[in-house]
Amino acid sequence: MKLKTLALILVAAAALPSCSRFGKTKGETAGADRMVVISQQYNELIYALGAQAHLVGVDYSSTYPPEIKSVTTVGYHRALSAEGILSLKPTIVIHDNNIGPEQVVRQLADLNIPMKTFDAKDDSIDGLKALLREMGAYFHKEQRAEELCATLDRDLAAALERAKTYTTRPRVAVIHYGRASNVYLVVAGKGGSGDGGAASQMIEWAGGEQAIQGKGMERLASPEIIAQANPDIILMTEFGFDRLGSLEQAKTLPGVAQTNAARNGRIYRVSEHQLTYFNPETGKSVEQLADLIHQSQP
Amino acid sequence: MSAPRDRARALILLGLFAAMVLVAVASIRFGAIDFSLRQMFSATLALVTGREPATLDGRIFAELRLPRAVMCLLVGACLGVGGTLMQALFRNPIVEPGLVGTSSGAALGSALYFVLGSVLKFNAGPWALPVAACIGGIAATYVVFALSRAGETGRSSIVMLLLTGLAINALCLSGVGFLSYIARDPQARSIIFWNLGTMSGADWKSVTIVGVATLGGVALSLRYAKPLNALMLGEEEALYLGVNVARLKWAVLTINVAMVAVATAFTGVIGFVGLIVPHILRIIHGADNRYLIAGSALLGATLLSVADLIARVSLRPAELPIGIVTSIVGVPVFLWLLRKRQYVF
Repeated sequence: MKLKTLALILVAAAALPSCSRFGKTKGETAGADRMVVISQQYNELIYALGAQAHLVGVDYSSTYPPEIKSVTTVGYHRALSAEGILSLKPTIVIHDNNIGPEQVVRQLADLNIPMKTFDAKDDSIDGLKALLREMGAYFHKEQRAEELCATLDRDLAAALERAKTYTTRPRVAVIHYGRASNVYLVVAGKGGSGDGGAASQMIEWAGGEQAIQGKGMERLASPEIIAQANPDIILMTEFGFDRLGSLEQAKTLPGVAQTNAARNGRIYRVSEHQLTYFNPETGKSVEQLADLIHQSQP
Repeated sequence: MSAPRDRARALILLGLFAAMVLVAVASIRFGAIDFSLRQMFSATLALVTGREPATLDGRIFAELRLPRAVMCLLVGACLGVGGTLMQALFRNPIVEPGLVGTSSGAALGSALYFVLGSVLKFNAGPWALPVAACIGGIAATYVVFALSRAGETGRSSIVMLLLTGLAINALCLSGVGFLSYIARDPQARSIIFWNLGTMSGADWKSVTIVGVATLGGVALSLRYAKPLNALMLGEEEALYLGVNVARLKWAVLTINVAMVAVATAFTGVIGFVGLIVPHILRIIHGADNRYLIAGSALLGATLLSVADLIARVSLRPAELPIGIVTSIVGVPVFLWLLRKRQYVF
C-alpha cells in the first residue's frame, strides 16, 4: 500500500516533464526585430499603421483587430512572467506602463531587455493623433500615420455635420462590462480627457447627452441610480450585452427595466472598440452613433 | 514505537525526498523556455563561480528559473510545516497555516500598498510590497494573540485563539474587499492576482530571506514535535505530562508566523497546500508529529513545485496564478487517499 502510494507519486512526478516537451517555441530569426507589445491600444495602432510584421507577442487584452489573435499571448498584462516574455526572444518590449507585477518588470530591466513606452497619451483626439505620429515615426510609417490622422479629422468633421442635422438631444447612458450582482459599471466620465471621457465626448459629438453624470470611467452605479436617471437610450458594450443574450433579457434588468430606454426598446449593443476609447475609426463611430441614438423608435 | 514502523517511516521520508528531488529537477528544466542539461550545467557553474552566464538563456536560467524553483521548494515546505504545526496545536483538521490572521493580514497589508501606496508615497523601492505584506501578517497575528488572551484568566485557551483568528480573518478580508471596491481597475487586478499567489517574482535576495525563515522554522519545529504529540491528548493531559502548554503555544505560533508571513510577503497568498499536506501524510502513515513535520516539509515542497510547473507550462508562454493550480494538483491525490483508507483525524 505504502509502496503503491510512493510509486504513484514518483510516476506522477516522472510523467510531468515528459508531457511538457511539446510545443517548444524557438525563435530562429536572430538579428531581426522581435517586438512584444503589452498594450491593447498600441497593438491596435500598430495594426492600423501596418507595422505588425515584427510583432511576436501580445497580451491577453489585445484582441483588436481580429488578425491579432494569431499572435502568441504572453498573459494578462498585470500578471506577466519574465520567462514567458523572454521565451519569445524579444529585441524590445513595448508597454504603456500598465503592466505588472512590479517585480517582473524589474527582472526584465535587470536582464537589460530594452523597453519602450510612447510619450503621447490617447486621452483626446489630439492625443491620439500625437500618439499615431509618434508611433509612425518609431516604426518608419510616417506617411501612414499622416493618412490616418487626416482620415480621422475628415470623418469626425463629417460626423459632426451629420449630428447637426438632428434636432433632438436624447439622454444616453453607457453600461460597460454588464452586471455583477446588481452593480453596474457605468461610463460616466465628463467629456474631454482621460478615463471614460472618450465615451462621454463621443456621445456629445453625436448629439446626445450623458444621462448619468459622474467622474471617471466605470463608476459603480446601483440600479436605483439608473432608474432615476431614466435615460432615453442605453448603450451596452458587447461583453455585458452578449452575456444577457438579447434585448428582451436586457430590458428586464433591475433598474434598467424602469427606464424609457427599456420601455421603448432602445437598448443597443455597441462594441467596446467603438465607444470606450479614441482610435483611428472614432470619426466613423461617432457618425454611426449619431444615427443610432437619433433613429426613430423601432 | 516498534522497529518495523520506524523503518517504514524512514522509507516513506526517503521516498518523499526522492520525489522532491525529481520534481525539483523537472521544475528547473521545463517552463516557458526548456533548458538542456548542458545549458543547466554551464549556467549553474557560472553562477557558482560568480561569473555572469554568457548567454541570455543562461542568465534566464540563473537569475529567473533557478531562484524560482528554490522558492517553490522553500515556500511549499514552509506552508506544509505551518499546516502541520497549526493542525497539531489546534487539534483541528480544517486549520490552515494562515488561520491566526497571518495570510489575511498580509493580504490586507498588500492591498493597502496597492491602493494607498501611491497616495501616501510609500511605494518606493522593491521592498515596499513584501514589507507591507509582512507587517500586515504579523500585526494581524499579534492582534489575534492579544485579543485571545484578554480573558479574565489572562491565559488564552486554544478555542479562544481559533475563534479570534476566524473573526480577525473576516475583518481583514472585508478590508481587502473594501479596498478592491474603491480601487481603480489596475489596482483591483493587482489585489486579485496577489491573492492567487505567484512565484514569478522570485530572485536570489528574496530566496535568501525566505530560506532563512523557512529552514530555521522547520529546524525549530522538529524540537516541538514531541510536546505536540503530547498535546494531541488534550491541553490538560499535556500539562500532566509535563508540557509547558503556554510556552509551547507561543513557540509554535511564533515559528509559524515568522515562516508564513515572510513566505506570503514574497509570493502572495497560496491556499490549500498547508491544509492538505498534513492530511495526506496522516493518511499514509499516522499522526506522529515527528514524522509529520519532516514529511510535510518534503511533501509541501514537492506539491508546490508540481503546481508551479503546471502553472508555467500549461499556457506557455503565459502562465496561471499558482493559487489556481494548487488545488487541482492536491485534491485528486487527497480524495483518492481519503477513499482508500479509513481515516480518523
